[in-house]
Amino acid sequence: MDTTRRGFLGAIGQVSIGAAASVAGADPAAAETGAPHWGMVVDLRKCIGCQACTVACIMENAVPEDAFRTHVSVYELVAEGQDPAMVMLPRLCNHCDDPPCVPVCPVGATFKAESGEVLVDASRCVGCAYCVQACPYDARFINHDTQTADKCTFCFHRTQAGLLPACVETCVGGARNFGDLNDPECEVARMLREHQVSVLRPEMHTNPNVYYIGLDEVLDGRVAGEAAYRPPFDAAPARHGEGL
Amino acid sequence: MQVHELVGAVHEAAWLPWAVQYFFLIAVSATALLTALPGFLSARPGGIRAARLALMAAVTTGVAAPIALLADLHQPGRFWEFFVYTNPTSWMAWGAWIVPSYVALVLAFAWAVHRPGFHAAGARDWRFAPLYRLLALGGPGNGFAPWLGLAAGAAAAGVLAYTGMEVMVVRARPLWNTPLLPLQFAATGAVGALGLMLVLERVLCRDGGLEAQLNRRLALALAIVGALGTLWLAAGLSGLSPRHAEALASVAGFPVWQRIALWAAAAILLPFLLALAMPRRTGWITGLTAIHAAWMFRWSVFMGGQAVPKVGSGLYDALVPAGAAELAGVIGTFGLWLFLAIAYTSFIPWSDAARPAAPVRRAARPV
Repeated sequence: MDTTRRGFLGAIGQVSIGAAASVAGADPAAAETGAPHWGMVVDLRKCIGCQACTVACIMENAVPEDAFRTHVSVYELVAEGQDPAMVMLPRLCNHCDDPPCVPVCPVGATFKAESGEVLVDASRCVGCAYCVQACPYDARFINHDTQTADKCTFCFHRTQAGLLPACVETCVGGARNFGDLNDPECEVARMLREHQVSVLRPEMHTNPNVYYIGLDEVLDGRVAGEAAYRPPFDAAPARHGEGL
Repeated sequence: MQVHELVGAVHEAAWLPWAVQYFFLIAVSATALLTALPGFLSARPGGIRAARLALMAAVTTGVAAPIALLADLHQPGRFWEFFVYTNPTSWMAWGAWIVPSYVALVLAFAWAVHRPGFHAAGARDWRFAPLYRLLALGGPGNGFAPWLGLAAGAAAAGVLAYTGMEVMVVRARPLWNTPLLPLQFAATGAVGALGLMLVLERVLCRDGGLEAQLNRRLALALAIVGALGTLWLAAGLSGLSPRHAEALASVAGFPVWQRIALWAAAAILLPFLLALAMPRRTGWITGLTAIHAAWMFRWSVFMGGQAVPKVGSGLYDALVPAGAAELAGVIGTFGLWLFLAIAYTSFIPWSDAARPAAPVRRAARPV
């Protein structure tokens, strides 16, 4: 895949780095080329579920109605003998190193950029939605304004200009942290070194670049439990298998 | 631990009912063609009447299917990009080459089979004679038809393989990611094809012998579908196949899915018993129920599969048509098929179609 097409990467600033960092998510090959390897670490202990990131993303990226590039799921966990706990879970494209959405695209419109983002060339996308099906995180959707596949880009247009993604910039509690996983001096690399982190759906082996601190394992896959939304045809309460 | 989702996003279906129509029609077409080939290509007598109906089903559904597929693209005007930017790691990209090849070959085979009929109609003194002379391309010979038939059969196998694999490789949807799915698509496609042939037989032929013959074949196809379904359930319940177990667990707790399972079992069992017990005079009900079973299987897999969240809780809305637009897609596709069936039976001498004649060989010259 030609990751330089359409000038996507033409203006990327060269990030000076030392030896390849020995942290989760570091990419030695990318480190050798000098390209950053963008990643996000979400500290769930700091997320207050204010949805400022959700709104900032919508405003920044003109996300149409009824769709999200990112949002914060909110859960109530009730462990036996304990008080209920509110848990926030910001969700977005995981910019996987082995993205299932890329090989299925019939026309090669979705691709992995050199700096790690999974992007969509909207001028080539035929809107077949095969990538939407293949994404294990429900992070893609068909944008009905453009009729093409849409998703989080880690705010590629902002990082190109040296800015942080809109959701990170606006995060009230500093829960979202973004940076170069190849740079050992970077805050995200430090967080990965110093904390135990989890990823969503580890069984899919997609090697995500979005990490979570403090993620309860009951939330890392398909969340079993009572849904916030219940479709009209399924009025009776239901529980399905956990951890799927 | 109890989990209550308080805030979550609901995702709409990205593959619309058009996709259901496509996968239904193309499977019916491919399996109908494979059903037609022995009747046209083998010397065994008795199969030609069923083969005529099978070819009619293959052509009409084969032409309607790609139109439904095109309608499911959100950028239909960019369909040409499939052929310019083919990504070989995508089953859909392969399908973009297989489907047009299949449709072209099935049309070519149907033309070759009917060429003598076109030629005969062109020789008569009537209004449309010039059109049929044009269709006959100057002669009645069709000794090359078996080769076209075999090529179309290979393309039909390609269609069944790619449509099954395209869906089966989607690991993110447990309900789709089961090794038995391609076989289930093919077997239910055959059920749909035989159901359609039974309906066509009731409308066009009303021949009790042919009805009984088709009903017996339908019972066999339904038995295969039932066996595959039982195997799927056993693999899931026993845990012998983790992928089937995951697929089963993803839907098992929902009452709506329990109702779907019962409905599907009834849609297989009822026509199976009727076709076995009363192969004559039941063609309408077994045929329509078989079409329904094949179509409903795909609706449940595609729309039901998309109603299962990948990370969230509960179910989404996709299982039930969202409104008039979605219903219009379903009704419109069936309307298009009906138009094609009327055109086929009105303009093609389908009832005269016979086994292609062997090519005429020149006698050796005496030395």
